[in-house]
Amino acid sequence: MSEKSETSTLRERILAHPEPAMIWLAGATLLFLPQASAFFETLMLWGDMVNPFTTGSLEIMSWYVDTMVGTLGPVGGYFMVAVGGLVLVSIVTVLVKAFFIPFSIVESLGLEDLPISADLLERTIVGSVITVIGVLLVFSPLGAALEGLFAVLADIATVFTDRWTLLSRDVMPNQGFQPPASATDQYPTGALGPYHGTFLGLEPAVVWAVRVLLVYLYAFLWIGWAWFGYKTFRRHYRYADWTPRDDMIDRFSTHRWGQFGFVVVAMFLTMAIFAPPLGPVTAQENIQEPYSYQVNYTENGTVKNITHGGANSGSLSQGGDRNVGVLQYDDFGRFHPIGTTTNGKDLWTFMTMGSRVSLFIGLLAIVGSGFIAASLALVTAYYKGLTDLAVVVLSDGIQAMPALLVLILLSTVLAGHPISKVYNGALVLVLIFIAIQWAGLWRALRGPALQVSEQEWIDAAKSYGQRPTTTMKKHMAPYILGYLLVYGSLNLGGIIISVAALSFLGLGIEPPVPEWGRMVNSGQPYVASFSWHIATIPGIMVVLVVTGFNAFGDGIRDAIDPQSDGASSDEAAAAGGGG
Amino acid sequence: MSRWSYFARRLILAIPVVLFGTTLTFMIIYLGPIDPVSAILGPQSNTQAYEQIEAQLGLNKPLFGQYIDFLVDLAMFNLGESWVIQPDTRAMELIGSFAPRTLWLGFWSVLLPLFVGIPLGFYAGLNPNTWSDYLASLGGIVWRSMPNFWLGVILLAGLSQDNVLLGFNWKTFIVDTGIIGAPPLDFYNVEGVTRINIGGSTLFRLPFKFKFETFIEAIKRILPPAVVLGSASMGNEMRLGRTAVLETVNSNYVETARAKGLSNGKIVWKHVFRNALIPLVPIILNEAFLLIGGSVILETIFGINGLGWLFFQAVTQADLPLAGSLMYIFILIIVFLNILQDFLYTIIDPRVGYDK
Repeated sequence: MSEKSETSTLRERILAHPEPAMIWLAGATLLFLPQASAFFETLMLWGDMVNPFTTGSLEIMSWYVDTMVGTLGPVGGYFMVAVGGLVLVSIVTVLVKAFFIPFSIVESLGLEDLPISADLLERTIVGSVITVIGVLLVFSPLGAALEGLFAVLADIATVFTDRWTLLSRDVMPNQGFQPPASATDQYPTGALGPYHGTFLGLEPAVVWAVRVLLVYLYAFLWIGWAWFGYKTFRRHYRYADWTPRDDMIDRFSTHRWGQFGFVVVAMFLTMAIFAPPLGPVTAQENIQEPYSYQVNYTENGTVKNITHGGANSGSLSQGGDRNVGVLQYDDFGRFHPIGTTTNGKDLWTFMTMGSRVSLFIGLLAIVGSGFIAASLALVTAYYKGLTDLAVVVLSDGIQAMPALLVLILLSTVLAGHPISKVYNGALVLVLIFIAIQWAGLWRALRGPALQVSEQEWIDAAKSYGQRPTTTMKKHMAPYILGYLLVYGSLNLGGIIISVAALSFLGLGIEPPVPEWGRMVNSGQPYVASFSWHIATIPGIMVVLVVTGFNAFGDGIRDAIDPQSDGASSDEAAAAGGGG
Repeated sequence: MSRWSYFARRLILAIPVVLFGTTLTFMIIYLGPIDPVSAILGPQSNTQAYEQIEAQLGLNKPLFGQYIDFLVDLAMFNLGESWVIQPDTRAMELIGSFAPRTLWLGFWSVLLPLFVGIPLGFYAGLNPNTWSDYLASLGGIVWRSMPNFWLGVILLAGLSQDNVLLGFNWKTFIVDTGIIGAPPLDFYNVEGVTRINIGGSTLFRLPFKFKFETFIEAIKRILPPAVVLGSASMGNEMRLGRTAVLETVNSNYVETARAKGLSNGKIVWKHVFRNALIPLVPIILNEAFLLIGGSVILETIFGINGLGWLFFQAVTQADLPLAGSLMYIFILIIVFLNILQDFLYTIIDPRVGYDK
């Protein structure tokens, strides 16, 4: 402990005293190994996700060029294309500089003495490098070569993906049937039960329940282990014995309501991350291509075979006699934890896949709008005056338009545009949400940012000539980050509600892709019948998740700012969403 | 800065805000990938009709001219006409005939947070950290997280059932009405006379016509959607009310009053409630955008043809010029209510800063 000195890096401190870190790492590896292949599979999935994004953005760019040249003629068109390109390159430049280049290029090249602003020079260098790379990728064979490289990498990753995974359908299959006594030779039953095809011959419902339990146990083990890791770091490797963050964590650890929120949020994240093994059947078999997959079942003492699509149309939930309810089996021996939808698909599988869509849109939108809001809040709090006024007008102008109506308008207007095809319309929703939500977030962050900017240490930093960007990043940003987390958590709930409201109205995410709100819509006629589950359960889950995010936000707010004591009107507006 | 110069500054600032909002609307509708004219005409269009509508909308002018025309028209409340929903009807006329139902809905949904949310919040604030406080707080938070569309669907289903949810049949409760549909608002008429009769003799006459039964029917029709629409604001007001009361109860002047030997009831009614109400009343106005957004969904579910329904139909049936005009009206309403809110603040609580 004594050798911890202020100047040594974390790496040096770990090397000086490696045992606790080794213990933690060993545990983490043990936890990681049974799921390693699923991890690589997810990586592959994310890799695949990039494809529609790149092709989509190329398509959007060519749409932009075509429209501009088409409406403004060749000269004006190419001028506008150049302007658009410049805007795009500068946005990318700022992001790349902020996140990936921690050192000053100008200084390392020894160009400080040139008579232009160092910032501008820096950005020009980064921007021109990005432009050259972009042009090379799009117009030369280099792009194709890169694609080939990625394909090779993907092949290598595939080697890892087909290994044994603890939490998968293959290890614990829950699809099976009870063979008749005459056919047990042909269809041997399992060790513990009379079922063929399921894990140890157990009942499908039991296998499913065990798998879900294991998934959640695994997820919470990881959370616990991460917490243990943080404590190890705090005890053995952190330079300071105490930081203000310790007090925040202490306050949060007595905040039951916030902890409830944390647990709900964690369960929702687990649901989204582990969506495939959570469902009793894969989305591919049950929702996307039900007629390409088959299922065996027993009827009148013989084993029969039917496609999932055929079985689906025999297990509709439409009230009256036609209903497969909560925790029931349909006529084909398939287990449905929360029943089936109006067209016979498994509701729980729909919900798990739908949670991915909600989370994807919500997280990306919050990260995007939070980034814009925080940067603007820093800039307006630092410079005040006219900058502040201009952003006030912009943000008030956006907030004066009812958000849900803008969503409805924009998602209808953009329906035919190529951007609406990327990720089945999720990307365009993310962009719309970013465009709308930054205004409210900025309004909420403006107060705290202004407060920080009045502090003496900002004056001190100014007076000894620190660059404004450095002052904002180093001395102001850490203080508003907590508020960003609070409002981000509250806004995320609002976004989830809004997305669900849009699909309830039949807009937004395109139909075969699961979205929670659509189920409320399609179950609406059957709420008061035996098929009550179709609209009720998705609704309750939205309420639970949104309550969770709100509670989590409350908890963080009380932890970082114990004086605040309760709600303010900004938060109220943020959490409601308007759907 | 005096109250009036603050107010004037607020009004002047509202102009660029409205301008920016309408500019965004213009860009979405006229610069977006959908061409409003071909959207109006649908797939089979002939060139003649196309050019005619284009000329009427002024879309054959240069872009900047279109923009100026759009702004000038809106500023003069020359809102154009409907093309698809009710062809050749002036937008102003449509708004005039649809708005009363939305106002009626908004009116009743504001009552809920005022008369349920605030009292509940005050109650929770006066009894902090008791079970009833927890119950009320939890209820407020969960209530707030409920999506309007889901609550509306569930409530509608509950009410359509006979004797299941309420123990009586909502459809035939007091007056026989349908459960969905627009509320009849013709209970009031300037022309005509209403006689108030007691015991066979006319007590006095009201100088307008008022049909009591229609009035009840209108209330009954609007109550379920209004309850849902007001629910989010109710949760908010409850939380804010609780915080406000807690803050006031712990303040010095309340302690002084207590030391003076004032009765508990007097402290609560005279000193706590009055001060706790200050932050709450203006916030109701701030939630106008929740009401406007929610009205789209609830009017769709409950089959009420109000402004929100009109907007949704205008957008989905490609009546984009009408949608733009409606958006302008909504922007005006929200900006106006925001100014009113700030103004109310300065009246109710002169301490609230003008320089904020």
